[in-house]
Amino acid sequence: MSGLRDWIETIWYIIKEAVTLGGNWRARIVGLGLLIIGAYGLYLWIFQQHAPIFLHANYGGMILTGMNDSVIWGLYIAMFIFWVGVAAAGIAFGIAAYVFRDKEFMKFAVLGEVQAVAALITVLLLIVVDLGRPIRALFLMPLLPNFPKSMLDWDFIVITGYLTINLIGFYVTTHYYRQDKALPNKFIIPFITIAAPFAIGIHTVTAFISQALTARPYWNSPLLAPAYVATAFAAGPAILLIALYIAEKYMEGIHVDFKVYKKTLYLMIGALVVGLYFNLSEVQEVYWYTTEPWKRAQWNVALFGVSVPYVAVFQWLWVAFGVAAVLAALTPYVRNSKKGIVITAVLVTLAVIFEKTLRVLVPAYIPDPLGQWVPYWPTPLEIAITVGVHAIGILVYIALAIPALRAVKKHYFEGAGAHH
Amino acid sequence: MTGSPSPRNGSNPSKEGKVDETRRRILKAAAIATAASTISFAVVDREALKKALVPVKLEDLLKMAEAEGSDLERRAAEKTKLMKEICMKWTRDLCKKVGENSLECKEAKKRCEMIKVKATPPKPKTLYAMALDLNKCIGCRRCAYACVMENNQARNLHIEWIKVISVNREEFPELLGSDMMYTEAPKKERVYIPMACMHCEQPPCVMVCPVRATWKEPDGIVVIDYDRCIGCRYCLTACPYGARRFNWTVPYVPPNQINPNMHILGNVIRQPHVTEKCTWCIQRTRDGGVPACVEICPVGARSFGNLLDPDSPIRRIAEEYGLFVLRPAAGTHPKFFYFFGPSRTPPQPKKSPDATQGGEGGGKA
Repeated sequence: MSGLRDWIETIWYIIKEAVTLGGNWRARIVGLGLLIIGAYGLYLWIFQQHAPIFLHANYGGMILTGMNDSVIWGLYIAMFIFWVGVAAAGIAFGIAAYVFRDKEFMKFAVLGEVQAVAALITVLLLIVVDLGRPIRALFLMPLLPNFPKSMLDWDFIVITGYLTINLIGFYVTTHYYRQDKALPNKFIIPFITIAAPFAIGIHTVTAFISQALTARPYWNSPLLAPAYVATAFAAGPAILLIALYIAEKYMEGIHVDFKVYKKTLYLMIGALVVGLYFNLSEVQEVYWYTTEPWKRAQWNVALFGVSVPYVAVFQWLWVAFGVAAVLAALTPYVRNSKKGIVITAVLVTLAVIFEKTLRVLVPAYIPDPLGQWVPYWPTPLEIAITVGVHAIGILVYIALAIPALRAVKKHYFEGAGAHH
Repeated sequence: MTGSPSPRNGSNPSKEGKVDETRRRILKAAAIATAASTISFAVVDREALKKALVPVKLEDLLKMAEAEGSDLERRAAEKTKLMKEICMKWTRDLCKKVGENSLECKEAKKRCEMIKVKATPPKPKTLYAMALDLNKCIGCRRCAYACVMENNQARNLHIEWIKVISVNREEFPELLGSDMMYTEAPKKERVYIPMACMHCEQPPCVMVCPVRATWKEPDGIVVIDYDRCIGCRYCLTACPYGARRFNWTVPYVPPNQINPNMHILGNVIRQPHVTEKCTWCIQRTRDGGVPACVEICPVGARSFGNLLDPDSPIRRIAEEYGLFVLRPAAGTHPKFFYFFGPSRTPPQPKKSPDATQGGEGGGKA
């Protein structure tokens, strides 16, 4: 029975550390800032939701966003696509640690789970703010009314499923490390067996939502899902590495081995090259001989920014940053220092943000099926709500990373694990 | 079974091994059975299974739908009350603005009184279709206006279920270079294509809806349940004909223009953040009428009818001129057909050069 008490104590430990942010003043100031931004975003969302209860007026609605009947999804779904990828790719550390039993990755695999939880909470919040009627969805979606036909039902399953798996992973890992115990195989093996396919699954389903639509020739290519997963495995580990670097810098007693940096660099650069290559392949298919004019028109929007210039800017910045990151990784000076690798990781993250947000979404709507060229510019309100949602996501990341990394520190840097 | 000594309590090790084996076998069989049933449960189409298990006659279904207690009827009765409330509220505001004795105020009050939300079920042996003569259409957009008035579309959002696009005759089946904002029509080098919901045989919007808020009725009309829509706009993304519209804020219809003849799946006043589209005037057609766009068309370019009826105009047009659909590559099999009829409006000059010159000269004189 003492076992059960330990498990309950772990919950208490996580809540305490997460709420007080580990008693770290710097983290608390950052957390407070993020909380204020998040609360303000939530407040602004009331206007977008047209909530007469709060406003006492018939005012607002999704008309306050830049979306319209032509460009139907906007900034929210664009960021959704990016963060699903980040959530999925946290599993890279898990695979290195739990499948290949890399001792250095073993120490920080839990951060991948924390990243997945934070990214998925961002993802769910982005969906909620994008929905016109979130309360109805809250009651209807868990019933999966149109499963298996609707890909959104699949998306609901994999995202909530993967969130649950990662919460369990985070909880169990923290529980063992907190008590200075090694992770038992009876946890590791089932966890990674279920989590790894789910990780690939969430991003595959994200692409499947859009790639089977004949109404959107820009997406209507079987390469969409592989391309999503490829660049996800560039950006996910890159963000994880940046988080590790910050943790190493600001948390005493945590040391990340250089091998972790090096191997992550190999992974993200490899994935990035695959992503760039897929982009080239798509462009060849559209431009070399002849193709459906509608598809080519949408690609013209992506490559040359017809009616929405920023999309072309994103496209070419993605290529430029991607190539720059690859070249940086080839430079011995950069790839042999932690700082150099972290800068490369920042380049990779930016490249994938340019690739997988508005660039991948907006051209599918311009021109629309009726041949209209309606531009889309996110409104300040839309941007502010998105920022608020991200603030909440980052806050969750910090709040969960602190108890997890403290537990890791206890086991690997102070306790039994340190003597390996 | 009860008589035999329980092997679980037995201390004989050799016997225990045997029992374990049987138990293992039973467990294995159970596991296989569970897996098989799970897979079959997932694979089998549940709707089809239900139909196969419970024999239902169409007559029974219709009776059920017509019965007072049917779910849709009950909801329609509730909706009538709600629509009247909304209408009265708008009327009060309107009357305050224009005065109690004004014509608008009286008209609005009259219409509010008349509001009746129906839940007319589909007729048996009916499959609706529409055909449009592209040679006749003059691009006057009167169908779009009639549709707005008939179907209580939000005036503040400028929602139009029918969009008339104009394309160069040479480019015709390609809609990319379309112009919707033309101010002069008809022009002889343009072709005018009114587009609305195509009521596809395999509608992608129905397939993608995560909550089954939209479906295809037995008479071929694709409908939306406005009380179920969660506003995810996946159906707008999936439609290859751009037929769906979204209520981006609270819709408003001037109460003196409200159409009191409403159907719960059609032209009831919409809520904010739900999707909507053409229902082929379900409130008219289910009662034996024709859609408003067909009725108003000044050149008679549209015809509407039952595909299963051999005497319907659609069947005659199909045999005489041949029908085609837009974007067949989308693979959705629309039931909104287009055709090029025998004569152009306005009539084109004759092909023979003499006749052309003579005709023009006569016109000028």
